[in-house]
Amino acid sequence: MMAVPGPSPSPSTRLALAREDRHADAARTRIAVQGLTKRFTSTGREFVAVDDVSFEVKQGEFVALLGPSGCGKSTILNMVAGLLPRSGGRILIDDDTVETGRVNRKVGYVFQRDTLFPWRTVEQNIGYGLEIAGIHKAARAGRVASAIDKAGLAGFAQSFPRMLSGGMRQRVALMRTLILEPEILLMDEPFGALDTHTKLEMHKTLLEIWERERQTVLFVTHDLGEAITLASRIILLSARPGRLKEDFEIALLRPRDPVSLRESAEFGRLYSHIWHSLGEEFRRTRVD
Amino acid sequence: MPKSRIVIVLWQLAILAAVLVIWQWGFDWSKALLPKAYVPKILDPYFVAKPSLIWQSFLRLGCLDDSGGFAACIKGNDNNLWLATLITLKNTWWGFLFGSASGIAAGLILGRSDFLARVFGPYIVAFNSIPRIALVPLVILIFGLGDLSKIATAWLVVFFVVFFNTFEGARAVDRDQIAAARLMGASEFIVLRTVVVPSALAWVFASLLPAVSFALIGVIVGEFIGAERGLGKLIIEAEARANASEMMVAIFIMMFVGILLAVVVRSLQSYLLRWQPQFERSM
Repeated sequence: MMAVPGPSPSPSTRLALAREDRHADAARTRIAVQGLTKRFTSTGREFVAVDDVSFEVKQGEFVALLGPSGCGKSTILNMVAGLLPRSGGRILIDDDTVETGRVNRKVGYVFQRDTLFPWRTVEQNIGYGLEIAGIHKAARAGRVASAIDKAGLAGFAQSFPRMLSGGMRQRVALMRTLILEPEILLMDEPFGALDTHTKLEMHKTLLEIWERERQTVLFVTHDLGEAITLASRIILLSARPGRLKEDFEIALLRPRDPVSLRESAEFGRLYSHIWHSLGEEFRRTRVD
Repeated sequence: MPKSRIVIVLWQLAILAAVLVIWQWGFDWSKALLPKAYVPKILDPYFVAKPSLIWQSFLRLGCLDDSGGFAACIKGNDNNLWLATLITLKNTWWGFLFGSASGIAAGLILGRSDFLARVFGPYIVAFNSIPRIALVPLVILIFGLGDLSKIATAWLVVFFVVFFNTFEGARAVDRDQIAAARLMGASEFIVLRTVVVPSALAWVFASLLPAVSFALIGVIVGEFIGAERGLGKLIIEAEARANASEMMVAIFIMMFVGILLAVVVRSLQSYLLRWQPQFERSM
């Protein structure tokens, strides 16, 4: 006789259960930004970079913070990450006030600039967070290897960052953050420096990971196409000083394919709709 | 080996041979051929010795000629060439090691602390303005004629060179790399160990190559001014006897010591900095 399958759920069932768990508290607010203000002083003159911005990001949402250059969107993200002190207002992550300089283990951050450690190999870069958390080398190896696979970096484990292309480096940076399994992911124009083709490939990688793992994401960008492709919601900021202008729900079907999506009528409709609003802000920056 | 490489090596050998030939016979030839006023003094063996004499002095100082046997000769002279070399090499190495270790430590601490950097800044600049060699008699007064004063002199010279470079290196660390490490949970100490130190290492090594020659200079000057043993002492003794060939022996040995130390530092550098493009080959 053949062995009778046991009662434990098959892998796919388990995945579905996990997803349901996450959907169960989908209404939970993970990031709450209330009346956030940032003033800078440069050459004796004070100017307002972010002016009274409030919004919320709920569990499992992918929110794009969209606005023209210099509108303070990265400043907002850095205040949410606790990298920058705020001049006014409050930021809560899971009901805890964000304090500058204090690291929240639930939060992962991906920089726009290349911040890989050039003296570490791809493998050592991706394993960095696990290493400093004191996880033993043997225990790290499996997770690092699967992260390398997931990012399509097989064969480059022993390479140093300078041997990689810009896109590959940004994949390493992404996996370096994701391997720590952050529930909340803050991304500061992570693909801003990449060419269009590489950018679309990165969108594909990120969408695959996000549609599987459903982290709560706050994604800063000035690229409308990118925002529509990735996000479930777009928060549009005005030109400087950054104020909340509009909030768009992007109800496109998932899983999304970044290339075919761009050819769909729905994408075009959303694009021209938001473009109108964004365009006003771009024009304002130019007049300033 | 590509053809251009062969040509270069041939040229190098030709130049070496020409220098040796002129050094050996140039003075005799010019004396025979030129009027007395035009004979170049610089070729006079009284001042510069000549290769054959240097070789003989080398054999005698090194106890390698046949008179009396090697062991007895080594025993009979407590500043024989090999012992002198060993002493100088040893003192250079320790001076370099202590000097660079303390220079790196101080550079990292002041480089990462604005407060300390500002407090100590003027003192460091003032102390660094003293020509180090001026301190050697004082060092010998304090530490005596033995090895300690030579190590201290080398330390004095090496410390500041390495300190300033490490300091700059520690300040030049990419802020975003530090922020990235912090966001992944690194403590202040882990940031120092895993980001600041590796990042400053390129700056540190830029100073270690000159530092190793400076250490050798420090030790030799210390030996000139007051010592019982060492290559510098050998030169001073030879000078007292106006023996240029013995001085030349010591100088050539120093050259080899310098090369040896530089090779050690360079190979360490190309291993530790293998992530940098200019060291790619040696991976």
